[in-house]
Amino acid sequence: MKNNGNGVTRRESLKIIGGAAGLMTMGLPINLGAQEPIRLGTLCPLTGAGGPYGPQMQQAIAAVVKELNDAGGIWGHPVQLFNEDSQTNPEAAVRAVHKLIDVNKVIAVMGTWASAVTMAVAPICFNNRVVEFSVSGADAISDLKDDDYIWRTQPNTFLQGEFHAKFALQKGWKRIAYMAVQTPYAKSFGDTYKKVAEAGGAKILEYLIYEADKPSYRSELTKVLATKPEHIMLMGYTPDSIAIFKELYKMGYKGGIQGPSFAINQKLVDGVGAEVAEGAYSLDPASDLQSPAFKNLTRLLGAQDVNSYAAQTYDHINLVTLSLAEGKVNTGTGIRDNLRKVANPPGTEVSGFMEGYKLIKEGKKINYQGASGACDFDDKGDILSRPFSFSQVKGGKLVVIGGIKG
Amino acid sequence: MAEYYFQYIVNGIISGGILALPAIAFSLLYGILRFANFAIGTYLTAGAFIAYAANVTLGLPIYAAFLVTMVVSGFLGVGVDQLAFRPMRKRRPLTLAIVSIAVSFILENMARFIWGNEHKSYNIPVLRGMEWGGIRIGKEQILILFIALAFMILIQALLRFTRMGKAMRAVADNAMLASVKGIDSEQVILRTSYIGAALAGTAGMMVGIDTTIDPLMGFKFVLSIFASAILGGIGSATTAVGGAFFVGLAEEVSMIWLPATYKSAIGFGMIVLVLLFRPQGLFGRNR
Repeated sequence: MKNNGNGVTRRESLKIIGGAAGLMTMGLPINLGAQEPIRLGTLCPLTGAGGPYGPQMQQAIAAVVKELNDAGGIWGHPVQLFNEDSQTNPEAAVRAVHKLIDVNKVIAVMGTWASAVTMAVAPICFNNRVVEFSVSGADAISDLKDDDYIWRTQPNTFLQGEFHAKFALQKGWKRIAYMAVQTPYAKSFGDTYKKVAEAGGAKILEYLIYEADKPSYRSELTKVLATKPEHIMLMGYTPDSIAIFKELYKMGYKGGIQGPSFAINQKLVDGVGAEVAEGAYSLDPASDLQSPAFKNLTRLLGAQDVNSYAAQTYDHINLVTLSLAEGKVNTGTGIRDNLRKVANPPGTEVSGFMEGYKLIKEGKKINYQGASGACDFDDKGDILSRPFSFSQVKGGKLVVIGGIKG
Repeated sequence: MAEYYFQYIVNGIISGGILALPAIAFSLLYGILRFANFAIGTYLTAGAFIAYAANVTLGLPIYAAFLVTMVVSGFLGVGVDQLAFRPMRKRRPLTLAIVSIAVSFILENMARFIWGNEHKSYNIPVLRGMEWGGIRIGKEQILILFIALAFMILIQALLRFTRMGKAMRAVADNAMLASVKGIDSEQVILRTSYIGAALAGTAGMMVGIDTTIDPLMGFKFVLSIFASAILGGIGSATTAVGGAFFVGLAEEVSMIWLPATYKSAIGFGMIVLVLLFRPQGLFGRNR
């Protein structure tokens, strides 16, 4: 086959460019006279470590947007959604957020999951006056000099440590060992846990922070078991928790284990086997399952099995759209300035955009009550309370056994 | 507290037993091929997954899976050598070390592609351990120590008393002289690759029995394996065993005084100290 070098002749390439230009003008919605759309972005972890949660997080946002667009938008403005994948990777997330802000001109970014991702995109958002909503837990997020543009619906580690300790006290455990994998929150969580547990009459016998990714934890556990604890608070990740569970079983430990749901989950139970995992407690910043908002979310998604991060992103989109409606604005700064007005008391409690928008149009004050909890924010953009649910491994399955309402 | 000191020593012996086989494998391979084979950790992973395929996917009993693992891991080592290392045979050691890193990435991701990222276990029950006077040890761990010891003796016998072992030692000692004497060095490389990968694969299965199976499991050992081999006097399979137990004991016993977050520093620290003050290794002779 003969070819003059680059495969495409000049005439052909002109045709392609012309055709493409034609297609572009046909494909673009020409909103002559129509209202300017409200541009919002999602940056959920569709792949990577957050992959099990990301798709549903994005669906929850899309479902709320579809419902409100079908009903005519916000003060006549349709909402246009731009979705990117954070890949649970700060580097990829930074590229994606630049695209959302620079190209798509979004005024809010919702659904960042990993703390590292949230920390990486936060400065880009607040420097561009774009509001950012995350489900991340790290304390460093509270302390960002973010000019109030960064918000989150996940409890910080102080709140989590307090709930874990209250649970142990409720169970009546007195001799507790604390073990945590080396993370930015191992110490802040542990210190709160220790303070609350010891104030309640329990004793923290050992306070051990260990390295992730070690082949075995025999000697770490030798140290812990030497103090003869009746209960272990294990703040790990799933891989090291699996190794520790097996090792504890072999070492004849018969006391209790409690941990966060991102470590003690079905993957762990499947990894160590039902017998080894039996009786372990998994604590989870839960969704408010009985709330009207959560019921509305399950209706929108057509699914009962909604993960706690999707409940949070449902709250993100409702808070964003209600703030826009309240302030009759179309900017990130406008969202920021109106958010506490629609989220915090006083006001009539509402569970979603449609309900709240009706009241706003009547000139009433509203107080959004979300699917993940009350969604009341302090001056750092952190939530003030959160329901927790307690599960226990019984016969190889995690069974919900109770909770604390936030 | 004294009983716990013994417990740390027992823990160290178990860790040393697990490290010993890959440390021997690493030293054997280094002795013949003269480069640091980073893929040694991935051979562990591969062995664990081969055993998983045999035990869980094919439903073979665990001892049959053990034999399958030894045989198949060895062939994997030969395959890797022929595909990746043979075309690079005459290159510098650093080039080969980098190739071995590439090999480990490829194998690791193949495991991830086939079996996924979840942590897996063999189809055997986890047994409660035994306790004598406050010293706890798992039944699996006793078995692991026993298997490791058996292999160490076998390898020693092979190197000392068989023609093949003598050829291997000859090539390790002086490849040029060996080839002048008519030893086919490619043959020796093939056999060493087989034995090395089979040993590491077996160790991987033992780790899988002791803890859990996942694509990154072998990588966690690489630093400790290197430390063992260097301490033993790199290139010598016999003394690598001593290095392995030394590293295992040091890593576990140090937990009495050091915070657990410094565990990785032990291996690094020992490599640095030995290279500075006794580069021929703790148990090695001056060459």
